Amino acid sequence: MNKLLFFFVFFICLIGFSQNDNTNSYQTRVLETAEIELLFSYYDQDGRNAAVTGGEGTEELTDATSSIVVKIPLNPNDILTVDAGISAYSSASTSNVDPFDKNGTRASPFSASSGASQSDALVHFNPSYEHSSGDRNSVYSAQAYVSSEYDYFSIGFGGGYTRLFNEKNTSVSASFQIFLDKWIPQYPVELRNGFNDSGIIGNGVYDPLFTPFNDETRNSYSLSLGFSQILGKRIQGSIFMDVVSQQGLLSTPHQRVYFSDANDFFIEDFQLADNVEQLPESRFKIPIGARLNYYLSDLIILRSYYRFYSDDWGITAHTASLEAPLKLSEKFTFYPNYRYYNQTAADYFYRKETAVSSLDFYTSDFDLSAYTAHQYGMGIRYKDIFTSAKVFTFGLKTIDFRFGKYDRSDGLDSLIFSLGTTFVGD
Amino acid sequence: MKKVVLLLTFGVVSTSCVVVKEYDKVYLNDEEMVLSARGSERFETNFQIYREAAAGANGGKSGGGCGCN
Repeated sequence: MNKLLFFFVFFICLIGFSQNDNTNSYQTRVLETAEIELLFSYYDQDGRNAAVTGGEGTEELTDATSSIVVKIPLNPNDILTVDAGISAYSSASTSNVDPFDKNGTRASPFSASSGASQSDALVHFNPSYEHSSGDRNSVYSAQAYVSSEYDYFSIGFGGGYTRLFNEKNTSVSASFQIFLDKWIPQYPVELRNGFNDSGIIGNGVYDPLFTPFNDETRNSYSLSLGFSQILGKRIQGSIFMDVVSQQGLLSTPHQRVYFSDANDFFIEDFQLADNVEQLPESRFKIPIGARLNYYLSDLIILRSYYRFYSDDWGITAHTASLEAPLKLSEKFTFYPNYRYYNQTAADYFYRKETAVSSLDFYTSDFDLSAYTAHQYGMGIRYKDIFTSAKVFTFGLKTIDFRFGKYDRSDGLDSLIFSLGTTFVGD
Repeated sequence: MKKVVLLLTFGVVSTSCVVVKEYDKVYLNDEEMVLSARGSERFETNFQIYREAAAGANGGKSGGGCGCN
């Protein structure tokens, strides 16, 4: 892997520095003025297959996220972008990492606890830098990423190169990303050292298989390749592929598993874990995607996307989406969209009480089960190229509101609302 | 699957001799024709990364950076 990475970085540097930077005496700027993008979303989910409670239990979750993206032109060729945000969520299932601290309510996988892990916030900071050559045929980029939440910390970096040729009708790109992540495991409360409760009900003595994970790190390396092509005056498409290798703790430490060959123990209505999920310490993923956009008329455009995904955990997935932006006027565009998703189950997926304790790997996370999902949505976009509405010295350029309804064949459903506004400096 | 990818690649490569001049790119330069996900789509992509096993080939994360699949 290290050799592959070294080769890739070397390759990017080689082709990058071999290009002529034909800077003209006058050139337009890549970005004329500073831009500020404010983004907000609200997400609400429900289901009955929570992984925290071994595949049976409430999946109620709400999340509110806000982000700010600031793009600053440093000179005609360079743009600095800073993306920062916070995501605050409240989750019934993760509250059941410790289900026994309810105020007067019986512990149950189908009700939320008031524990420390009931709510959390994820903060992220993602600066990036982009340099375009004078002839605008080469674009170099570099980025960093830091995020932190209650039980997870991530630091990452990456870089990329895009080359346009054939009178900017064709482009090829290559990029890489590396994430060096660390879990701060929050094991189910009954598996922690010192747990003792006189209310345990069951045959025999509660003696789970559990041992804490030794390796709490997760490293991810990805290489992305892209190719885009103008196919006509009204049609263009692209193909892209990622090669992803992950190593380390790929299990989620607070997701319970119940074995078919172990006695069941309860406190109130809550079944105590036999173990937490055990997944391999490596995963290799290959997603291949393609886009095709067609300008059907001045009224309607078709945007299509397809992705094939395969990994060495036995999962194969197909994703397809279609969006049809309708230009209602010069300023307003309405865009209905539909997305189809289907995946096969991971080799290690077992429903509650179907895995046996002698297996090496098992999980009851329904996100790794076989299912089909449909997402229906719509959005409306307002754009004023003259930025006539002002906030301080910034003009309002776009407002984009979208809504999506997601239905999964295993019963999970969700709603998401997103709002984005872009302001440009004078 | 390999045949589909080969066919798709061949289809795109075989048309790569098409050259649309800058002054003919009025439709292609329309904001709706951009060959990437919309900025406002990022939150949907985020929840999909958590809720689905497949990720990547969409301009966002393809692994790492979150305690997700």
